[in-house]
Amino acid sequence: MATAPKEINQPAPEVLLRVENVTKIYDGTVKAVDDVSLTVNKGEIFALLGGSGCGKSTLLRMMAGFEMPTKGKIFLAGQDITNLPPYQRPINMMFQSYALFPHLSVWENIAFGLKRDGMPKDQIAERVEKMLNLAQLGKFAQRKPHQLSGGQQQRVALVRSLAKRPQLLLLDEPLGALDKKLRETTQLELVNIIEEVGVTCVLVTHDQEEAMTMASRIAVMSEGYFLQVGAPDAVYEMPNSRKVADFIGNVNLFDGVIEEDEADHVTVRCPECVHYVGHGVSGHTGMAVGVALRPEKIMLSDKKPKGEYNWCEGEVIEIVYFGAHTTYHLKLDSGKVIKAQELNNTRDLSCGLTWGDRAYAHWNDLAMVVLAQ
Amino acid sequence: MATKQGFFTRLLDGKHAVIGIPYLWFILLAAVPILIILKISLSEMQGTSVSNMIDWSNGWPKLTLNFSSYQFIFSDSLYLKTYLSSIKYALLTTLICLVIGYPFAYFMARSPKHMQPTLLMLIMLPFWTSFLLRIYAWKTLLENNGIINNVLMSLGVIDAPLQMMNTPFSLMIGMVYSYLPFMILPLYANLSKLDMRYLEAAADLGTSPFKAFWLITVPLSKAGIIAGSMLVFIPTIGEYVIPELLGGSSTLMIGRVLWNEFFSNNDWPMASAVAVVMILLILVPMAIYNKSQAEAEMK
Repeated sequence: MATAPKEINQPAPEVLLRVENVTKIYDGTVKAVDDVSLTVNKGEIFALLGGSGCGKSTLLRMMAGFEMPTKGKIFLAGQDITNLPPYQRPINMMFQSYALFPHLSVWENIAFGLKRDGMPKDQIAERVEKMLNLAQLGKFAQRKPHQLSGGQQQRVALVRSLAKRPQLLLLDEPLGALDKKLRETTQLELVNIIEEVGVTCVLVTHDQEEAMTMASRIAVMSEGYFLQVGAPDAVYEMPNSRKVADFIGNVNLFDGVIEEDEADHVTVRCPECVHYVGHGVSGHTGMAVGVALRPEKIMLSDKKPKGEYNWCEGEVIEIVYFGAHTTYHLKLDSGKVIKAQELNNTRDLSCGLTWGDRAYAHWNDLAMVVLAQ
Repeated sequence: MATKQGFFTRLLDGKHAVIGIPYLWFILLAAVPILIILKISLSEMQGTSVSNMIDWSNGWPKLTLNFSSYQFIFSDSLYLKTYLSSIKYALLTTLICLVIGYPFAYFMARSPKHMQPTLLMLIMLPFWTSFLLRIYAWKTLLENNGIINNVLMSLGVIDAPLQMMNTPFSLMIGMVYSYLPFMILPLYANLSKLDMRYLEAAADLGTSPFKAFWLITVPLSKAGIIAGSMLVFIPTIGEYVIPELLGGSSTLMIGRVLWNEFFSNNDWPMASAVAVVMILLILVPMAIYNKSQAEAEMK
C-alpha cells in the first residue's frame, strides 16, 4: 500500500530520529541489540521486522526510554535523549495489548497524558473530543476498557498515544492482539489515522505483511542487528542475503556456481538446473552463489519448456489450496523440493496438475535474485 | 416424577455437592451459632440458667421476647463509649497497619523473584510461636522495669522509667504487631500481580514515578487495600487478649466487656446482646459497602 519515496531527485528529507551505534547487553553477556544505527525521517512510517528475540522490541524500548543503551546514543530532532527518562521524552508509545488503564474510562485514558502536562481543562476536553472522533469512539467515552471489543481497545490505545501530539509515535506489535479478518481493516484505519495526524512512526512487528502494508521503510532484524533496510518492495524483490530472502515471504533457494559472467547476463549452474539471469551481478566466474526464486514467479506446465535455461522437472507431491492461489510442492530428481504458486484466475484449477504428476517448472530471466554466499 | 428424580440427582451430583460443603460449613458454624446468640440475647437469666423463649406449659407455644438487655446497652453510656472506643482503636490499628504494610508489601512485590519466598516466610515466621507468648514478650519489653526502659535508663537517656504498659500506646503496639501480616499478605498478593506495563504506559504519557504510584498503583491495588483492611479491622474490633494483657484498665474495648458479662457477671443474655450489637456494627457498614460496590460495577 504505502510505497517508498524514491530517493533520487528529492530534497534531502529532514531526519527526526537518529540512533547511533546503539548496543544493549543484558546481564553482562546477552547481546540483545548489537551496534545498530538508523535514521528515521520526518513523516515516515518505519518498521522493525524480525522474529522473536531478534532485538526489535529492545530497540523500541530504548527509543521510548524504558531501557538504557549499554553503548551508543539516541537523538530526537538533533537533541540527545539517550539519558532522558520516558516521562520527559516527546515520544509516545502504543503498547502491545494496549495497556489501557483498567480503572479509568476511555475519556480519562485519553486525557491521562494531557492532564500530566497541566493543560487547561477546556483544552483537554476539546483535544479528547477530537481524538474520540478520530477513533470513531464518541459514544464509548464513558465506558471502561474491558467493556470494549479488541478493535475498539486498539483504537483507544492509538489515540491515547496520539493525544499529546508526540514528535514520534512508537507502535509495539499494533495488530498482534487482533484476529486476521479484523487485522486487515484495522491496518488501513491505523495508517489513515497516522497519516491524518502526520506523525512520524516506528513500528515493531514480526508479521511481514503488517510491515509491508504499513511501513514506508523496513529494517529486517536478526540477532540484534539489521540485515537489510529498505522500502518494502526493495526488501522483497531484492533481498541482500539468504536470511532476508528466507524471512520475507516464501523463497526457493538454489546453490550454484557462476558459469558465465557477462555485463548483461550471468548463468548459474546448479545441480537441478541452469539459471540464466538477465542482468549483470558483482561476482566472478566460478564463484559459489545462491539463487533465490519466489514461488509466485514460477510457472508450472505439463509440457517441457524450450531452451536449456530456467526450468526444472519434478513430481507434484503436495498441493495446498489457499483459495486465491494454490501452492504446488514439486520434488525434483535431486530430491530438492521447490514451491510454485499458481494464481487461480479461473474457476477450474489452472494447470490441471494432480498428485504424482510429472511437471515442469519454468521462470523468466528476471525472476530470480543472485545472492552471495 | 421426572422433576423429583431430577431434584435428587441434582442434589447428589458433584457440582452441587461441592457448592454444598461450604454452605453447610457456613450454616453449622456461623449462622446457627449466631442465631443461638441472638436467641439468648432475647431471654433473661433465671437463677443460673437462661429462660426459655418458647413456653409450652399452657399447651400452646408462648413466645417471650425480652429486650431488657438491649435497653440496658442503649441506656448505659458506658457501653456506647466502649463501642466507640473499640471502633477508634480498630480504625487506628487498620490505618497504622496500612501505612506500614503498604510499603512493606510494595517492596516485597518488587524485590527479585528469588527473594520473594524468603520474605514471605519471614512475614509468616511469627505465626510459628504462640500468639499468647508473643503478647507476653511485648509485656517484658514495655514494662516499667522491662528491657526498653532498662536500656534507656542505663544509657542515661531517661531518669525515670517511661509508663508504656497499660496505655493506649502499648495496646496499639500489640494490635499493630499482631495484625500487620494480615494487612501485608493480601496487599502483597495484589501488588505482585500488578501489570508493570500500566506503569510504563503512565511514564510514557509523562507521569513521574511518584505520581504514577498514586495514579496507577494505588487505585489498581484497591481490592488488596480493602481485603487487608477488613482482615485487620474486623478481628481487632472485638479483640480481647491484647487489651487484656497490654491495654490495662484505662483502654476500653468491647471484647473485655463481653468477657466480664459472660464470666464475671454470668449474665449470658447481656453478653449475647453486646455480641449481637458488635456483629451488627461490623456487618451493616460492610453490607452498605458491598451494595455500593455492586452498583458501581453495574454502571
